[in-house]
Amino acid sequence: MSKIEKALNRAREGGLQVVPRAEAPQAPTGTSVVTYRSAHPETISRMAQSESRMLAPSDLEQRGIIRAQQGEDPAVQVFRELRTKIVQQSQGQNAIVLVTSVTRGCGGSFVSRNLAAAFAFDVGKTALLIDCHLANPSVHELLRNASVPGLADYLENPAIDIEKIIQPLGIARYRLITAGKRHEAPEELLTSAKLRQLMEAVRRRYVERFVILDGPPMSKIADTRVLADLADYVLVVARYGQSTSTQIANCVSAIGDKKLLGIVFNEEPRIPRIR
Amino acid sequence: MQLLPEQIAKALVTESFHSRRMVVTIFVIVNLVLLVAGLLWPKSYTASTSILVDERTIIQPLMQGAAVATDALDRSKNAREIIFGRKIMDTVLEYGGWLNANPSVEERELLIETIKKQTSITPVGKNILKIEYKDFDPERAFRVTEKMAELFMQESITAKAAESRAAFAFIEQQTQEYQDKLTNTEKELKELRSSNLDAAVTEGQLTSKLNDIRSRIETTTQELREAEVREGSLERQVSGEAESTTDMFRETQYQTRIGELESKLDTLRLSYLDTHPDIIQVKQQIQALTDNLKAERTRREQATRSGKANESVVNNPVYQQLRREQSQNQSQIDALAARLAELQRQLQAEVGRGKRIHSDDARLAELTRDYQINRDIYQDLLRRRENARVSMNMDRERQGLTFKIQEPASLPLAPTGFRFWHFIAVGLVLGVLLPLGFLAARLQFDPRVRVGSEIAAAHKVPIVAVVPHLWSPAELKSLRTELVFLSIVVLGTVGMTATASVLRLMKVL
Repeated sequence: MSKIEKALNRAREGGLQVVPRAEAPQAPTGTSVVTYRSAHPETISRMAQSESRMLAPSDLEQRGIIRAQQGEDPAVQVFRELRTKIVQQSQGQNAIVLVTSVTRGCGGSFVSRNLAAAFAFDVGKTALLIDCHLANPSVHELLRNASVPGLADYLENPAIDIEKIIQPLGIARYRLITAGKRHEAPEELLTSAKLRQLMEAVRRRYVERFVILDGPPMSKIADTRVLADLADYVLVVARYGQSTSTQIANCVSAIGDKKLLGIVFNEEPRIPRIR
Repeated sequence: MQLLPEQIAKALVTESFHSRRMVVTIFVIVNLVLLVAGLLWPKSYTASTSILVDERTIIQPLMQGAAVATDALDRSKNAREIIFGRKIMDTVLEYGGWLNANPSVEERELLIETIKKQTSITPVGKNILKIEYKDFDPERAFRVTEKMAELFMQESITAKAAESRAAFAFIEQQTQEYQDKLTNTEKELKELRSSNLDAAVTEGQLTSKLNDIRSRIETTTQELREAEVREGSLERQVSGEAESTTDMFRETQYQTRIGELESKLDTLRLSYLDTHPDIIQVKQQIQALTDNLKAERTRREQATRSGKANESVVNNPVYQQLRREQSQNQSQIDALAARLAELQRQLQAEVGRGKRIHSDDARLAELTRDYQINRDIYQDLLRRRENARVSMNMDRERQGLTFKIQEPASLPLAPTGFRFWHFIAVGLVLGVLLPLGFLAARLQFDPRVRVGSEIAAAHKVPIVAVVPHLWSPAELKSLRTELVFLSIVVLGTVGMTATASVLRLMKVL
């Protein structure tokens, strides 16, 4: 845990409102982005105002989400390092990261929700977790009220606005979009142009926002390809004692070198300290 | 990918923790199984005895090369054959008390097989045989071992004596056979020699005699030819002499007289005419002489043709001399011809004898060869028979093979073979090694990835994060309970083993 994070934690526990300093705009990467930023100068401070009731540590543990206070936990450190690598890779820009699994049960959802949490640790960044695994969603389980409109509803229904589907989780700087109601052919929704527009919109809405897509496993290769096309980086999650070398090789060759950031080797057994 | 030792060690630790229930289960099962096996495994006692087999007695150097010693390498094999023989085994069965239960034939066979399996006969050094017997009853192990050694020694000596006797009998029989053969050959030789006394003539002698006869034939032939030539010459001389002596003399006289008268006629013709009576007379004389000459010639030619000498010739002394020589020569020719015929006959006889000698020689050589071979074998057999007789006597006197108990069998006090402690130790070691071995094998051969660096090396893709398991408090709580339980199970197993060991030590179990 960095010194700044510790100070922020202490300040938060003391009831202080922390407003980060507005940073000077980076070198322009695109005219539209700059224009949008200047037109909608939304900041983290404004976002903080809309935070709902915070989740207790026990709630987070129940949901399998890391906390900044578990700084000594190796799992927390690993997610922090992963976050740093992505930030370095994106060179200060926000990014859309697709997290997919080699096979079902590799822990892709676990990695994506915790990677989002690691981004949210940093007071200068926000995280948005989008459940793109429409056939077998899991992000809604994190919410107390699971029946909120989600991605499928948004893509299907033009009347639903983006704000309606972005839900606060109860963690600072952490938002999520659930998969929404079950759809007969969810794969078709992912190819719609509206999804691309959505991605652009959420990327632009907060410049500090890192978007994490919780994707389907690589067995649904068509969906993964569509999502990989939308994302900036792809992380493939392999599980200890489950994924074979051949499966991993197939995933690597299916995604290609261009966007593949690397493999996340999940669930390595660890002997915990028991007091 | 080939894992490094430290990677394997680290992976084994994490895998052991990951599969902790399996590890503990295998540990407990292995230990319990071996504990039970150790408790049920019967104690076995081994008694052993060493027998010194000595064939090198004081007699051996004296009999060097004669009596043949047994090969040391075969000794244990021989001992095994003797001890495991039906005779000794039956005695052992009776002596060991196995027959008290009146076993059936099949059961006896099984018992014998078991005894064979529990007996080991090994050579120690060159001359020592070690007999070991293993039994659950120490007393019986001792007694059976002792008895086996005793029976083996007895049987060996008896067998060796019997063997020597059999060998002697065989050689004796062979000797007799060869003696008969030799006698027959000698008899045949004798007959051959007596039937061909002249067979004593050697080929060299025969050849020289033949040569001598041939040279004499040549000489005789030569002399005969000379005599014949002389005969011809004398013949010619005899006839020539007849012509030249009287007839030629008379003719010459006529021719001389004619010549004289012709010259006288020529002289008269100078003075007279042919009508002169002197001339006419001379002419008449010449004519008369010419007629006489002609008549003489005719007569001589007739005499030559008829071969008859006329009286005048016969009376000629030269002729008579020639006729005498001719007669002598003729008788010599006759003598030479007779000698030549005799020599030819002798030559034929000698050639015939030569042929006969050759055929007899072949037969003689065959008989001699048989005789020599039989004699050699017979002499060898005689030597062998004497050796066999000595060996037999040695065995009879127990001089050839002596046995001495080097180390007598003793009552075994401590059990041998697998014991309770071995089972306990093996259980503890195997209880740890077996699950670890299984995990190591799974690590090596299971295609599912368990080491992150393996992926990076195999696919040239970076491992951006190795996420360890995130323990929730609830999981930690349940893990704590589980670990306590597993520890109790392991400690309970070890404690059970320790308790069983102590009870075993106190001879309660």
